[in-house]
Amino acid sequence: MSTPGPDHAEWADAVGAYLLGALNSEEHAGFEAHLAHCPLCSRDVAELRVAADALPVSVPLVKLPEALKDRIMSVVRSEAELLSAAGSRADVPAEPPARAAAGRGRRSLAAWFMRPAVAFACALLLLAGGGLAGVLLSGGEDTRTVVAETAAPGADVRLVIGEDGATLVARDMPAPPRGRIYQVWLQRPGSDPVPTAALWSVRSDGTAEVAVPGSLDGVEAVLVTDEPQGGSEAPTKPPVITASPA
Amino acid sequence: MQLVRRGQAPAFELIYERHSQAAFSLAYRMAGSRGVAEDVVQEAFLNIWRSGARYERSRGSVRTWLLGIVHHRAIDALRRSFVHEKRRASDEGLEETLETGERTDAEAARHEEAAAVRSALQGLPPEQSQVIELAYFGGFTHTEIAEMLETPVGTVKGRMRLGLEKMRHALGQGEVSLG
Repeated sequence: MSTPGPDHAEWADAVGAYLLGALNSEEHAGFEAHLAHCPLCSRDVAELRVAADALPVSVPLVKLPEALKDRIMSVVRSEAELLSAAGSRADVPAEPPARAAAGRGRRSLAAWFMRPAVAFACALLLLAGGGLAGVLLSGGEDTRTVVAETAAPGADVRLVIGEDGATLVARDMPAPPRGRIYQVWLQRPGSDPVPTAALWSVRSDGTAEVAVPGSLDGVEAVLVTDEPQGGSEAPTKPPVITASPA
Repeated sequence: MQLVRRGQAPAFELIYERHSQAAFSLAYRMAGSRGVAEDVVQEAFLNIWRSGARYERSRGSVRTWLLGIVHHRAIDALRRSFVHEKRRASDEGLEETLETGERTDAEAARHEEAAAVRSALQGLPPEQSQVIELAYFGGFTHTEIAEMLETPVGTVKGRMRLGLEKMRHALGQGEVSLG
C-alpha cells in the first residue's frame, strides 16, 4: 500500500477540484507540488482524470468561424518561415533580445533579427504581450504612454514604454489584408527602418498587444506596415502605425 | 506532433483541421461568446504551435492534451475579464449548433461519445453534476461555488470528487473512447 505524502491531510480533498480546474492559481501550484511527493493523490488523479478529460466531449459542436483559421495560419506560416530561415540553430536557447541587441550594436541588428532563437523568443514575447500590457497600462511608476498616429480609421494605438521594453497596444485595429501580416520596424534618424521579428495580427475584437523587440535607444519612430507573410527586409508599404518614443 | 515541433506549418494545419471544431465548441460553451471563444482558441493553438515539444504521449491523446490547454485558456479568460456575467446575459446559443444533416462520419461518432458523456453527467445526483458544471464549464473556483451555493467548501470539494468517481465508473461501463 502506498504511503501518503507529508502534507496529505491538507490536500487530500482537493483532487476533484484540481482536475476540474477549480483551484485558484496558488492552490493549483501547491497541489502540484504536493502531487510530486504523494503517491496516493497521484494515483487518485490518474484514476479520475479519465472522467475530467471526458467532459469536453459532452459539448455540442458549433460552427467554426472561417476567418479564425486564416488568422492563426498566417501567424504560423510567418513564424515557420522564420524558423526555416534559421536552420539548425533554431533550437539554440535565446539570449534576452535587449542584451543581444545591446551587445552587438546597430550594425548587427539585422543579423540578430535573422537568428532563429531570437526570432522565436520575440514570437514568445508577442504571446506574453497581453499580460505585460495589462501591467503597464495600470499606471506603473516607470512607464509612459505615447499615442501613435495611425492610418486605420478609428484605430487607437499606443506605445507603452517601460523599464523592460516597449509594447504596442492596439484597439479597434483592422486585421491586415488577406495573406499579409503586420510587421514592426525601428526607425533611427538618417537610416532606413530596421526590421524586427515582431509579426502580428489582431484578435477578433480588433485588439492586440505587441512587444517591440530590442532597445529603443536612438529610435525616433516605431513603425508598423503590412507585409507578405514571413515579413520583409524593407517596408513594401507606407506605415499604418507611427509612434515616436521621444 | 514531432513535425509541429520542428516548425512544420502543414503538420500544424492538420492538427488544426482535426481538433479546431472541438476546441472552439469547448471555448464557446465556456465563454458563451463567439469573440471570446475565437480569442481563446487562437491563443491556445498559437501556444501549441510555439510549444509543441511539451506534448507528452504518456499524458493522453493529442486531442485530450489540446482540449486541456483550451480549457485552461478559457478559464483564464473567464477569470480575467468577467465574462461570467456576459455569458449569463448572452443571447448567443443553440441556434449555432450544427444541424444533424451537416455532420460528417467523424462528427457522428463524436456525437455518440458526447451522448455517452452527457448521460454519465446527467446520471449524477444533481448536487454533484451542478458543482462539476460550475467548475469545469463555468470556470468558477471551489470557493466561489461554495459561496454561490451557500455550502461549505469541504462539501463542494467532496461533491466534485464523488461526481468524478461516479462518472468514471459510468464511462468505464460504457467504454467511451476519448482518443
